[in-house]
Amino acid sequence: MSQSQATSEEEPSPLLVLSAYTTDLRHFTNLLRGVSFEKRALFDLTAGGIVVTVEEARTLLAFAFIRNDIFDEYIYIPMEEPEPEPQSSQETVDEDEEPTPPRPKRTLFEVNLSTVIDCLNLFGTAGTSASAVKKHRFKGWNQSAQDSDGDDDGTEDGSASRRGRTSKSASGMNASASANTKIDQFMSGSTKGTALRMTYAGPGHPLVLHLAESSSGPAATCEIVTYDPEPALELPFDSDAMIMKMILKSSWLQDALSELHPSCDKLTIIGNPPPAPGRGPTLTAPPRLRIKATGTFGTTEMDYPNDKEVLESCECDTHVSFTYRTSHVVRVARALQHSTKTSVRIDEGGLLSLQLIIPSPRMRGPKAAEAFTEFRCLAIDES
Amino acid sequence: MRFRADVTTPLTFLHVVQTFNKLQQRCIMKFTPEDMHMICSNDISEGGVQVWSQIKVESLFTEYRIQSNANNQITFSLSTDALLVALRSASSYSSSSATSGADIVMKLAKKQDQAVLTFEISGQSRSGKPVKITHDIRIELMRPEEVDKLAEPMCPEPQVQIILPPLAKMRTVVERLRVHSDLILFEANNSGSIQLTASNDTVSVKVEWHNLRNPPTAKVPSSQDPETASQALNERDPDEKHGVLVAFKSFQKFLNSHQLSTTTIACVCRNHALILYVYIGEVTDSGGVLTFYLPAVIDGD
Repeated sequence: MSQSQATSEEEPSPLLVLSAYTTDLRHFTNLLRGVSFEKRALFDLTAGGIVVTVEEARTLLAFAFIRNDIFDEYIYIPMEEPEPEPQSSQETVDEDEEPTPPRPKRTLFEVNLSTVIDCLNLFGTAGTSASAVKKHRFKGWNQSAQDSDGDDDGTEDGSASRRGRTSKSASGMNASASANTKIDQFMSGSTKGTALRMTYAGPGHPLVLHLAESSSGPAATCEIVTYDPEPALELPFDSDAMIMKMILKSSWLQDALSELHPSCDKLTIIGNPPPAPGRGPTLTAPPRLRIKATGTFGTTEMDYPNDKEVLESCECDTHVSFTYRTSHVVRVARALQHSTKTSVRIDEGGLLSLQLIIPSPRMRGPKAAEAFTEFRCLAIDES
Repeated sequence: MRFRADVTTPLTFLHVVQTFNKLQQRCIMKFTPEDMHMICSNDISEGGVQVWSQIKVESLFTEYRIQSNANNQITFSLSTDALLVALRSASSYSSSSATSGADIVMKLAKKQDQAVLTFEISGQSRSGKPVKITHDIRIELMRPEEVDKLAEPMCPEPQVQIILPPLAKMRTVVERLRVHSDLILFEANNSGSIQLTASNDTVSVKVEWHNLRNPPTAKVPSSQDPETASQALNERDPDEKHGVLVAFKSFQKFLNSHQLSTTTIACVCRNHALILYVYIGEVTDSGGVLTFYLPAVIDGD
């Protein structure tokens, strides 16, 4: 690690605040891509990992939780908070008492996220962006490979999802892009991906990315300017006030979002209580989940039946209906590409929370490292 | 003035012309009894890139006959697009007819009072019938006085010479670097490392290659006195990096020649230029070399 400090031309700081290393930066890059709809992002470094936050229009908030076990090595040494100088000699300082309460060990800075992703992509890493998927579309064998390669959680029933996948290739947002990666990795054999060492020396220092291809090829160093964090939007989700929670496969949600006509500017999410027991078949009952898109040309309604294979879990006791701006909700599309399951929650105030599970593309140890990305969106006030 | 030759390797000729075509609309061709030169000079092309190439006629032609009053040299300018079309058609016939091989004859002629460079291609169509195609490319002959004015740019001795890694690999990386800036800093040292840096206000990206070879001076066809150059090089610190700032556009134009090169040597003349020698074929055979002169951009800093 001391070598990486020597290569940076900064004044030598004895301790880097963050030094993270991974042999394959693709998973990290995918997680960042999922929230890269705005240029600026807030990086919150903690001992447990990094939280990357992106905000849009004071309405939409996206977090990518990057746990430290996504990296092969993660060392976080927060800077010491400087002792504030005594205000005046008159202030009595009790010797037993600390002058300041201990502060939580967090480090915050802002960077230009698209620059970070451009740098990570310097050697052409992740083959899971939309453009790369389009490239693969032309290869015939890849289509069948997507069908045969099961989904990550392996419980897929086949026909419906396969239909979903082939239709997705037309729109360029491929639900099985994660399966695509697996096939690529299998087929490409020796390409082990690009190694990354990411370091940060504290406020005022740049974020330094050091990339190296596994073979004895070129190495790259990127120094990206960091900024002091601006006051961030906070949208706390009150789990106690949650009135709807549904878990479904991300591909369903992705299908729904991709089918939306661009003229639909509002999206309403409707949840319905379960049908009363003892009634007839559920065909006439209102769907547990309905996504309704309204726009200048009309309305589209997409219904999800009360079927365990569609809605893995469904908690909704009253009729719930909240409307959101489509332009904000579709921001989740890129993150959905790599996600297996999504949890849709709405609280009393209409705050929508979409939590996506994004598995690591390769199995590491006994279990794959799973990452979470969350999107929170305020409802449009339609009173 | 007489000139004719049989083109034996149209594909190589085609690659050379493709490189020139990406630089400029017109280029100058100079044929001598031993070599063919193609020149692209900086007045017209953007970024001031100049390309001078010299290829031994044996590498490309047989039955080579040249005769003129100007020391048996013929120099003219022509459109690279037209030349490209002719060569594409020639190489497509040469690859399809396996047994007989297409006959491609290049010669100078005068048609309707206009000097042209003619390509006569005799090949076989797909059904086996003989086919003959003729391309006439209008040329402008250059007078001996004008030819004398053509000279390779003067450069001071380079501080460092180094053999570049395979150009195809460099090309993809350079393309990604271009996002950040219009200028690229090319640095190399005498211990086999090169470094490309692109930076702007928010980010600075540098890519390094190591374990490359620094060739001895004798191999490089430079216009400077080789003795003093090598002597000076030996006295320098091998790890010291020498750099020159060039425009991305120019560098990418050079990388367009990646199809041709077997070996490429870069010479850094600090504050002056980056000179790149792209060898066609083996370096020792010196079948041909393309020389790119990329002028240094003097940064305001």
